[in-house]
Amino acid sequence: MSQASDLLVRGAARATEAMSRPAGGAFAGGASGGQRPLLARLPGRDALGLLPYFAFIGVFLLLPIVANVWTSLHDNSGAWSLESMLKLGEQQYLSAFLNTMALSAGTAVLGGALGLLVAWALATLQRPRWLRSIMLSYSVVASQLGGIPLAFAFIAAIGSQGLITIAVFDATGWDLTEAFAVSSFWGLVVVYLYFQVPLMAILVLPAIMGIRREWGESALSLGAGRWRYLTDILLPILSPAIGGAVLLLFANSFSAYATAYALSGGGANLVPILIGFFISGNVLTDQSFGAALATGMMFVITLAMVLRHLLVRRTTRWLQ
Amino acid sequence: MSGTSRVGTGSRSIVQEIVLVTAGLLFAVPLVASASFGFTLPEQGFSLEPMRDAVADSGFAPQVLQSLTLALLTIVASFALLIPTLVWLHLRARRWLPLAEALSVIPFVVPAVALVNGANLAFRVTVPGFLTSVYSLVPFYVILTLPLVYRALDAGLRAIDLRTLCTASASLGSGPVRTFFSIILPNLRPALLTAALLSFTMVLGEYVLATLLLHSTFPVFLVQIGQDRPRAAAGLSLITIVGTWLVLSALTGRGLSRRRTSLPYSPDLRTAS
Repeated sequence: MSQASDLLVRGAARATEAMSRPAGGAFAGGASGGQRPLLARLPGRDALGLLPYFAFIGVFLLLPIVANVWTSLHDNSGAWSLESMLKLGEQQYLSAFLNTMALSAGTAVLGGALGLLVAWALATLQRPRWLRSIMLSYSVVASQLGGIPLAFAFIAAIGSQGLITIAVFDATGWDLTEAFAVSSFWGLVVVYLYFQVPLMAILVLPAIMGIRREWGESALSLGAGRWRYLTDILLPILSPAIGGAVLLLFANSFSAYATAYALSGGGANLVPILIGFFISGNVLTDQSFGAALATGMMFVITLAMVLRHLLVRRTTRWLQ
Repeated sequence: MSGTSRVGTGSRSIVQEIVLVTAGLLFAVPLVASASFGFTLPEQGFSLEPMRDAVADSGFAPQVLQSLTLALLTIVASFALLIPTLVWLHLRARRWLPLAEALSVIPFVVPAVALVNGANLAFRVTVPGFLTSVYSLVPFYVILTLPLVYRALDAGLRAIDLRTLCTASASLGSGPVRTFFSIILPNLRPALLTAALLSFTMVLGEYVLATLLLHSTFPVFLVQIGQDRPRAAAGLSLITIVGTWLVLSALTGRGLSRRRTSLPYSPDLRTAS
């Protein structure tokens, strides 16, 4: 380690020499700007070092958001109009929103319940240490999976030529995909659960680990049964953490595009897929309505995240 | 084991064992399936033929290389933007910290499809040449990884006594630039590593922006090849998943050996969906 850091220091020293002349560059400006007397006299000089950051976020994040919202509030000729936003209520698009919400809420609640179970098992397992550490590392990794590779892994398992599909067919003569295709709603639910369950587990694990033995002991000594302890003590303390995590799972699957696209080939009736069609121009090029869909999505996710923020603020009171 | 505390656990962990083993087996199913699907041929057994097929495809090498280049550029760009900014924030502009942090989590409420749509609307007409270059993905990848990288670096800076280090360095006659490169950066190494590995895996797996902005990266290649060579796609997917696993478990392994309860990075920021 010391050797490597030595190398780094030496390399850095060389870079320092090279950079000490053009000290006004954005890179060096962050650390050196305050030393210069001219800047020191400016009133808002503290904010000056933050200019590159604010500018970057302004151009590549806020500008696209504003463009989205702006376009969704104008018709395609450029006049103010609520037409596109109102069109979101039409049967066809409303059903895409409802479908996406059902998928997200379903995988959030199911994944939340199962993930809670896994987290509980992780937190209370005593004996084989290796099982705990393997599953913890597994959860961290699986929660980050998703996208194209996960979709293909599931197609290999329960797709039409998948390992399990064929095994079931050979054993029973029943074609699994007739009742349960990966590209169907419930197929998507199963695939999404693959990352939702471990994500829930690692999200609530800190809260569950924060439960103190003394709480249970004092509840028992005051005459509460285990059930009463669970409903009157544990659930009230944990519920903000659980609720916050479930909302995060909701937002997580609400915005997922790649997994659903790879599984259904674009056939799923989901808002992200629909927006994808508008962007790639596979349907009528109605810019304003494509933007309205995106704005609607951002609205739903923002709502979930604001709720989560409020909930999580309450959690921290008990679980420090 | 001070953290594990439920009434009357004692020696009864059988239920927990069952839960964890079942979960582990279920999680293993798609991986085993893609291993057996991707590395066998009917009536032939184990075969590298599907993989050889995929690697020989004219798209494979350039698109993998493209993804690797984008990942490296993203890491360089976000470090160049965020390290000086965060050091400045912690040293000289602490009252701006809440605003900067609030801005850093906005990408989380903007789904990738919405970001692409907005980018199209904002840049397609005003700066026509920009989005057609594959490197236009880099700033958007910096945005997508921003919540992650920001938090990792911020945590790293909070863990060291930045002010004292800078004062000590200055009192020994070092200028601010030298302090930055030979004191602050070496001290931030664990945080830099975490941030770099996380954004590396994220960019390598990113599909939405690349495909909708019509650029060819590794995930785009994977989808293309999956349409007529599902075995090759399954094999490549397994390799990708195992690779991601190795990179991320390097992080968790490090984190676990130090503090058993807390995770090395904030898990509430998923990247791959």
